[in-house]
Amino acid sequence: MTRAGGVIADNRTIKDQSMSNEAVIHSPVEVAAHDEHGEHHHHHETFITKYVFSQDHKMIAKQFLITGMFWAVLGGLMSVLFRLQLGYPDASFPWLETILGKWAPGGHITPAAYYALVTTHGTVLVFFVLTAGLSGTFANFLIPLQVGARDMASPFLNMLSYWFFFTASIVMLSSIFVETGPFSGGWTAYPPLSALGDASPGSQTGMDLWLISMALFVVSSLLGGLNYIATILNMRTKGMSMTRLPLTIWALFFTAVLGVLSFPVLFSGFILLIFDRNFGTSFYLSDIFVNGVGALPNEGGSAILYQHLFWFLGHPEVYIILLPAMGMASEILSVNSRKPIFGYMAMIGSLFAIAILAFLVWAHHMFVTGLNPFLGSIFVLLTLLIAVPSAIKVFNWLTTLWRGNIRFTPGMMFAIGFVSLFISGGLTGIWLGNSALDIHLHDTYFVIAHFHIVMGVSSMFGMFAGIYHWFPKMYGRYLNNTVSYIHFWITIAGAYMIFWPMHYEGLAGMPRRYFDYSNWESFKNFVELNRFISTVAMIVFAAQILFLINFFYSIFKGRKVTSLNPWGANTLEWTTPLRPGHGNWPGEIPEVHRWPYDYGKDGTEFIPQTTPVGADESHH
Amino acid sequence: MSTTTTVTPTKLWSGGKSPFNVEYGKLMMWYFLMSDAFTFGAFLISYGTIRFSTNGWPNPNEVFRSFPFAPEGINAPLVFVSVMTFILIISSVTMVLAVHAGHNMDKKGVVRNLILTIIGGILFLSCQAWEWNHLHSEGAWWGHNPFLNHDGTASSTNFTNYFFTITGFHGFHVFSGVLINIIMLIMTLTDKFEKRGHYLMIEKAGLYWHFVDLVWVFVFTCFYLI
Amino acid sequence: MEHTHTEATEQHEGGGTKEIWKVTIILSVLTIIELALGFWMMGMGLESASRLAVKGTIVILMMAKAFYIVAYFMHLKHEIKNLIMTIVVPLALFVWFITAFLYDGNSFRHLRNTYDPHFKEQSTIKVEKKEHTETKEKEAPKEAGKEEKKTVE
Repeated sequence: MTRAGGVIADNRTIKDQSMSNEAVIHSPVEVAAHDEHGEHHHHHETFITKYVFSQDHKMIAKQFLITGMFWAVLGGLMSVLFRLQLGYPDASFPWLETILGKWAPGGHITPAAYYALVTTHGTVLVFFVLTAGLSGTFANFLIPLQVGARDMASPFLNMLSYWFFFTASIVMLSSIFVETGPFSGGWTAYPPLSALGDASPGSQTGMDLWLISMALFVVSSLLGGLNYIATILNMRTKGMSMTRLPLTIWALFFTAVLGVLSFPVLFSGFILLIFDRNFGTSFYLSDIFVNGVGALPNEGGSAILYQHLFWFLGHPEVYIILLPAMGMASEILSVNSRKPIFGYMAMIGSLFAIAILAFLVWAHHMFVTGLNPFLGSIFVLLTLLIAVPSAIKVFNWLTTLWRGNIRFTPGMMFAIGFVSLFISGGLTGIWLGNSALDIHLHDTYFVIAHFHIVMGVSSMFGMFAGIYHWFPKMYGRYLNNTVSYIHFWITIAGAYMIFWPMHYEGLAGMPRRYFDYSNWESFKNFVELNRFISTVAMIVFAAQILFLINFFYSIFKGRKVTSLNPWGANTLEWTTPLRPGHGNWPGEIPEVHRWPYDYGKDGTEFIPQTTPVGADESHH
Repeated sequence: MSTTTTVTPTKLWSGGKSPFNVEYGKLMMWYFLMSDAFTFGAFLISYGTIRFSTNGWPNPNEVFRSFPFAPEGINAPLVFVSVMTFILIISSVTMVLAVHAGHNMDKKGVVRNLILTIIGGILFLSCQAWEWNHLHSEGAWWGHNPFLNHDGTASSTNFTNYFFTITGFHGFHVFSGVLINIIMLIMTLTDKFEKRGHYLMIEKAGLYWHFVDLVWVFVFTCFYLI
Repeated sequence: MEHTHTEATEQHEGGGTKEIWKVTIILSVLTIIELALGFWMMGMGLESASRLAVKGTIVILMMAKAFYIVAYFMHLKHEIKNLIMTIVVPLALFVWFITAFLYDGNSFRHLRNTYDPHFKEQSTIKVEKKEHTETKEKEAPKEAGKEEKKTVE
């Protein structure tokens, strides 16, 4: 105890030694001496330093967002192409040959191209869009603004994080154009398909590029994650205690922790895979007989080991994707219900529980691999435990909405859509978490429906909610409301129409990853349904194009924001100027006096965090 | 809910300062090392997994039993690797002394101890290079395992695969640690830290270097002892 | 400013040089015990309980060494308790990480021994052991040939 007291005393004396962000406020000149990145107050920005190699967290966030959008369009387009194949396996589309060339001779997608499309769609959407595009964008944008910091702890590493992601993107993009095509063994890259170059055309150069790209991506997410953690812990403004942080920040904090602890395991797994591919090792290979070649010399490895290593990241990755969406939904629901978030501490607690459980459940993806059944039963138990914090969150969102004075802004619509999708997708997770049921459902369309609803589309909704809600802060303009509502209704209805029927297909045993189902008598009755799903998928994709047009049009031509705080929110980002420069606040960083959810308190509509607590104010 | 209770400014977590009383760089270094611990952990655990899923395994005492400049065929298990271990421990000690000297703004002490640490690192790398070379001359490499299992049955190549991958990855860390220390030395000699008023950079480099030593404790045990 | 800073860091510095040398001696002693155990273990039977016990002891000693390096060399012991917790608590994830991986590895070996006759057979065929290591290199190809022959038989 005495030690702690002593340390605090020291801390005050050495505060200016870049221990705190406060130093920057009072004496910018003096600080520049020990603050390696403190020059942002007085240097002339060129186009390059402002828009390209920017160290401003807001610009980096926009870079992440727009790169993510590029990948979302490409990944979405890929899904439209393979849905075309699934919906119309017999039809010929000459225009396909025009754009895909030898991958679609005579207007028919080849099986190799189909698998390449599916694999790239998965990799790109999971890692580039929903990891980098979602937490990269909003962690960068919101953390300094909402905790009250001038910038990230290390703006330079933050910039590097984006450029590693950019390089990873370029490498992944180039893998699409190599002669043998991109990797085509599924986004999980299980060996032997990924370990043996001769396994498929995509396992050659495409796989090498895939691995390089993913390794760069791991570096990017580590640099980002370390920065987010250090910023949230170290750079909070005066008065911003951990229990006064908006839930977005808590969610982004746990996301970063998950990434920092789980991505390295994937990295190790990839290094072993690279050795297996190029240096004759057999970490993942054993007893393989190739037609026409004979038995391979590799002995003693274990393909299950790769799956363990992959899913040790893979499962936390699901939460890396989902938690930022949860955090933003919590914030947006509270702001637009004009009510404090229900169960703030329970929300943090459930985020923490989810973050811990995320590391303990990875083998539930592997129930049918030959995993030890006893071990499997422990994984079932741990998996089903996740239902508890998830349910806490859902009920808290619903009770936040309950009797709220709800404003249905586009951001709010998407946040409510997120909750809806999270419930529908989460419930099927309880089915799949049971190892006995999973034997029937594994690798069917039921799984596809489950994870697309619960983490794919719902996180996408979280992302849209965030974009609609913070667009005025990002660009100083509003998005067009009418177009936004059209976008919302087509997307939510479409998402359910695409993925709901897939549950039935999966229960009927329709396996995933098949190129063409028309040759199976048992799946003949799904022809119409598949066609329906494909048609809706195309309509939903078109709606996303509508959103893109709205987005880019509004950046330049949207209605200008005139009020500093258009949503009447309490958090700190709305105390910055309309278009904050690098450093966010022109004067001092405001001090925080209360938690961010004082809505409708004592008859006041909202009380920003910067308002001091009144003497006669009630406690809640 | 404690959120509305007035927080006294002396509270560690109340914002406006680091709750841990450390600058962000040190915090990031710690969390980076945590994530690196998971990288090495994943390597060593997958090594264990493969060992557990294999019937036999070579005896390290029969594999690692040579010593540089000793006559061929010498049976000296554990000797060379203990020399390597002590080199790394001693270089870790000199690194702590360098950090300590940095706290006291003792430039001379920093320089002296950093040079000793760098020498230790280079010595360790040379030892590793010799050992790799020796094993290679015995026919061991990625994908090649000349050694037999304990019980005289044929061994899979995974013994050498893991040995070279993990010690290689560790060696790469030692190498980058040496590079970092050389940069620190140059920065010290050019009075960068004197001007800055503190030697906190040395502390971060020190953390990294000790981590390298820490990993060796595990690698040493997993590959040479058990 | 600089002065107060050095003072401040000095205060939560801990034992100073004396402590460093003490820890060095502890680490050296632990390593020597480990090595002694390693030599002692060589004479023991392959799957014997005593060998397993020694291996367990070595692992415990390894953890002790890790503790001393992290606590004193990396200075964690002298940091604020919260920082210690944020670093030590996530490491607890390793418990389940290790348990589940090794358990499943072991189970995979049983599966292979039960259902993969080739795998089982291979672990029973002895390759003729060489007396001198130095001849190994030259005879390596021969050895490989022998091994193949035996599996064919």
